[in-house]
Amino acid sequence: MKLMDLTERLGLVSYRNQAKSDIKPHITVDTDICNSTCPHKCTTYVCPANCYTMDEDGKVHFQVEDCIECGTCMYACDQGAVDWNYPDPEIGRGVTWNFG
Amino acid sequence: MMDEKFDCIIVGAGIAGLAAAMILARNNMKFLLIEKGEFAGSKNVSGGVLWGSDLAKLVPNYWEEEDGGWERFINHRRLTFMDDQSTFSIDFKSSHFNETPYSGVVVLRSKFDRWLAGKVQEEIDNSDYAMESFIATNIKVDEILMEDDKAVGIRTGEEEFHADSVIISEGVNNLLTRQVGLQDDYVPADHMLTGIKEVIRYDQKVLEDRFQLNGLSGMSNEFVGFATDGVEGGGFLYTNRDTISLGLVAGIKDMREKEKSPHDLLNTFKGHPVIQDTIKGGEVVEYSAHVVSSGDKRAMPKELYKDGVLLCGESANLLMNAGKAIQGMDYAMRSGILGAETIVKARERDDFTSNTLKEYKQALKESYVMKDINSFQDAVHMLHNPTMYQDVPNLICDFGRKFFTIDNEPTKKSRELMSESIKEHSSYWDLIKIGFKGAKSL
Repeated sequence: MKLMDLTERLGLVSYRNQAKSDIKPHITVDTDICNSTCPHKCTTYVCPANCYTMDEDGKVHFQVEDCIECGTCMYACDQGAVDWNYPDPEIGRGVTWNFG
Repeated sequence: MMDEKFDCIIVGAGIAGLAAAMILARNNMKFLLIEKGEFAGSKNVSGGVLWGSDLAKLVPNYWEEEDGGWERFINHRRLTFMDDQSTFSIDFKSSHFNETPYSGVVVLRSKFDRWLAGKVQEEIDNSDYAMESFIATNIKVDEILMEDDKAVGIRTGEEEFHADSVIISEGVNNLLTRQVGLQDDYVPADHMLTGIKEVIRYDQKVLEDRFQLNGLSGMSNEFVGFATDGVEGGGFLYTNRDTISLGLVAGIKDMREKEKSPHDLLNTFKGHPVIQDTIKGGEVVEYSAHVVSSGDKRAMPKELYKDGVLLCGESANLLMNAGKAIQGMDYAMRSGILGAETIVKARERDDFTSNTLKEYKQALKESYVMKDINSFQDAVHMLHNPTMYQDVPNLICDFGRKFFTIDNEPTKKSRELMSESIKEHSSYWDLIKIGFKGAKSL
């Protein structure tokens, strides 16, 4: 059976307010911390939805759009950079599982 | 709905919250069950098997229903050790497990929780507060309202709802538990794992033939070793009606230190030659992930209650993997039941302070939930030992390969083969240590 890459996998996830362009992010990341003092930048590989990416210069960027609210980054980040919350049902982009 | 005070507000319509709601409704309590998702279950993910028979307490004769919320009952268990090429399984199947109430059912939470919520609604409709108790979805609780350090209700946006008590059943990412001071604001990664899974669909006949399923019987298979590629944790495969749930749990701290991605690990697991043969021909229909706790008591909240508030389910990190099964949903169900029973007592005495609510802790302590968590701590620690999740699976598979190889050369005795495998992958000393711990812990 063919293995899927992450983009294909995330393509199977249903999000609320998917069509809205203006959503309220439920997680805020102080990437200044990631890009100055963090020794591991682990969110760039432990996030199952790849919301945290590293650019060519090794800088960490965060986008909330693909977040599946798993919580991994909240524990993995031991540097105090991740402010984690649940998305607002009306103006956030929350996940709705079809199987769960 | 807005003005009057509830006996109880339950935050979160997962298994703990729904179990609590069922008991409250049955005891004619006036309550509000709040869920942030579109419907109960819409944001919930588990492996998952709901172990034990408590479901029958909530929904008597649930197995008689033509299309209940559960997928399959388990009568076939398998524990598989893996190295990079091989699997070595302990396999147990018995018609004994065909008897109802079943001792475990596989569930998909989006369907199961929604179904259970329907049952709770029926119970509400039959209660004295049919018009005054509610399951309210699409509402995110922003804050537990506290007065003199006693919970008195909740706030969502600008709105407040008041109650004599609050049951927090918000799941493992327990922000409200932290807000009321029952857990530290930052919970370190040490005893937390990420669960990651794919739901893979088959023609139902293909699925039934491949896994030797009969009617609604099902199989649960746990994996140790190569499944997690050197990261602490393990894999699982559960059969649903026409899909399987295939996934892993992987230690977050370990992934951080070993620079591993959960989605890569899942592909490593799926790419294993034996797993490839097992899952071929399916179509992935969902990819999901969720944090789970490990069962290590050091991760648990400082306390399970305070004035006006109780913690149930994964909010209290009630989950354990001691090697035999991953138990979390059954703990959630039992803790929800016991929590609600305590709230019923508190209503009778009109005392919602710690004086009454501490009885919840006592009841949980006397139940199998805390008894098991307490008595299997050594097993939980042992499973987090690299010898256990790496060396042992490797040496078992190495032994298996040698034992089952027939190559027209003089055959060595098993004892000699075992000795070779042990020397190659571990040491007698490590095994004696782990064996001693194992004998003690299980």
